[in-house]
Amino acid sequence: MISTIYIEEEIANHPRTLAILKRFPDATKISCQRYGEIFNRKSQNFRLQKKQPALILAKKHKGLALPTPKQYAIGAEYNYYFSHMLNCLYDCRYCFLQGMFQSAHYILFVNYEDFTEEMTSILNQHNNEPVHFFSGYDCDSLALDPVTGFTSAFLPFFESNPQALLELRTKSTQIRSLLKREPIKNCVIAFSFTPDKIARTLEHKAPDINKRLQSILDLQEAGWQIGLRFDPLIYTKDFAIEYSELFKKIFSKINPQLTHSISLGAFRLPKDYFRKLEKLYPDDILFSSPLAEEDNNIGYPSEIRNDMLEFCTNIITQHIPAEKFFPCHETV
Amino acid sequence: MIHLFCALPCEAEPLIQHFKLSAIKEFDLFRIYQSKDKEISLTTTGIGKLNTAAAVCFQHACLKTSASDIWLNIGVAGHANLALGEARLVNKITDEHDNATWYPQIIFNSPCKSTHLITLDKPSTDYQDALYDMEASAFYQMAIRLGTAELIHCLKIISDNTAQNTATVNADKVKKMISAQVQTIEKLIDCLKPLSAEIHSITCKPAHYQHFIEEWHFTKSESIQLSRLLRQWALRLPDEDVMQLVTNNKSGKAVLKTLRSTINNSEFIIHD
Repeated sequence: MISTIYIEEEIANHPRTLAILKRFPDATKISCQRYGEIFNRKSQNFRLQKKQPALILAKKHKGLALPTPKQYAIGAEYNYYFSHMLNCLYDCRYCFLQGMFQSAHYILFVNYEDFTEEMTSILNQHNNEPVHFFSGYDCDSLALDPVTGFTSAFLPFFESNPQALLELRTKSTQIRSLLKREPIKNCVIAFSFTPDKIARTLEHKAPDINKRLQSILDLQEAGWQIGLRFDPLIYTKDFAIEYSELFKKIFSKINPQLTHSISLGAFRLPKDYFRKLEKLYPDDILFSSPLAEEDNNIGYPSEIRNDMLEFCTNIITQHIPAEKFFPCHETV
Repeated sequence: MIHLFCALPCEAEPLIQHFKLSAIKEFDLFRIYQSKDKEISLTTTGIGKLNTAAAVCFQHACLKTSASDIWLNIGVAGHANLALGEARLVNKITDEHDNATWYPQIIFNSPCKSTHLITLDKPSTDYQDALYDMEASAFYQMAIRLGTAELIHCLKIISDNTAQNTATVNADKVKKMISAQVQTIEKLIDCLKPLSAEIHSITCKPAHYQHFIEEWHFTKSESIQLSRLLRQWALRLPDEDVMQLVTNNKSGKAVLKTLRSTINNSEFIIHD
């Protein structure tokens, strides 16, 4: 899977680096000073690199946990996101990472201990108030878990800090490490969904929705709280039929008691990111969607967006109480 | 197109023969050779970074290169302990002069192993566990300004090592070493061709674009909109005749308006 590994000299002897290198004895190892020498170079093509991404092992020096925009909150006043990885195993055509990064290589920041130190400091700033930490903005939280050991490193921290909540956002079925241990109350495994046909068209390399749903059922059976993320909502002519089917499939099977939260938001991207994606995939149907530009963002025109949000809201709120529902009404 | 760069005529000669290249006579600052179908070119740069950077620019200006072109620096190099005649793709280039470093992107199954290369200002026999040459950093630095990083590579063949240093290298030996690795070079090109084709497919203009540009006047910004709308047309209305729709339009602006409104009024289905 990984044929090239770049290693920052500063973390070459970090125990996590050594453990990961052991898993890939045949990979070509290349040392570098800082990951930016590879990752941030211009003239790289994200689409080509996505065919065979390399792994970059690096150290995160600053910005280890950053405040989250208010509209993405799921019930707490204080919200932060953190990224132990940049880039994703999957290749979802709507993903903003393709517009944000020059490179499709996976960066793994191995200094987890600095992340938890930063989180401790944030928790101290907020005394004993609840603080939510979101993982999975810049990567899939679980897709590389067997390699990164992410959950087994971070869950004990959250277990001993009950005022903090961890959201692991994912489309992955890599849940073995979670099933092996006792669930903790302050961790939500949040799965993203689009209807089956849309997922097959746009979510390349991601597990199909039946497998994701099975992972949810397995996790709930083991006692974990799960979240549902219908973001981005994707428009198509039979949007209502396809999303109705998706909701029916999910809500007929999941346990609402162990459903922590549901959020939704329509597809939208910053204009610069959208234009870059459009250049990378000019023949992809997504970029021929009915779209409008507003305030330097590109997304569905308000009539389509509002119809979609209203339609989904009506169904979702039939299945869960309002306090668990977090629609993102970000304008385009 | 595939652009090959060699420092020395003896490095170039086996490739000129293998790819059946002929000299282009109108360019005399650097020798440029080209295949009959103009798909492969080769430039002899001369030794050193300055010559190499100048040759890459010259070749770009003479042959009008594009983002989908493949750029290869091929030549001999020294190494502490690799056997003479072995080929290595370069995965890291360090310029010894200022320690600047580049990382060629090997996103395919390489036909040979890859390793680190150090570009020197002067020849040296102080061998290390890295390739030594005098051109690659300049080649790479210049080529990534002109092309797509994943399509730009350096392939080196070991000409000298600790046991047999540069004093033992001569033109005949170099020709034989390069000839013996022509298949590796062919395989490398085969790995890069599909990537090049993919870049071509996303950078080329959509169907009918040229006809529209010749028929009506479009500003720069309008021509970008035209390109986008023609691609959308192909995806959303693949069975409709776009030429017939706009045939009576008097201006580029009117054409864009017609295309946009027809596309916007069509049903949007994201999957088959």
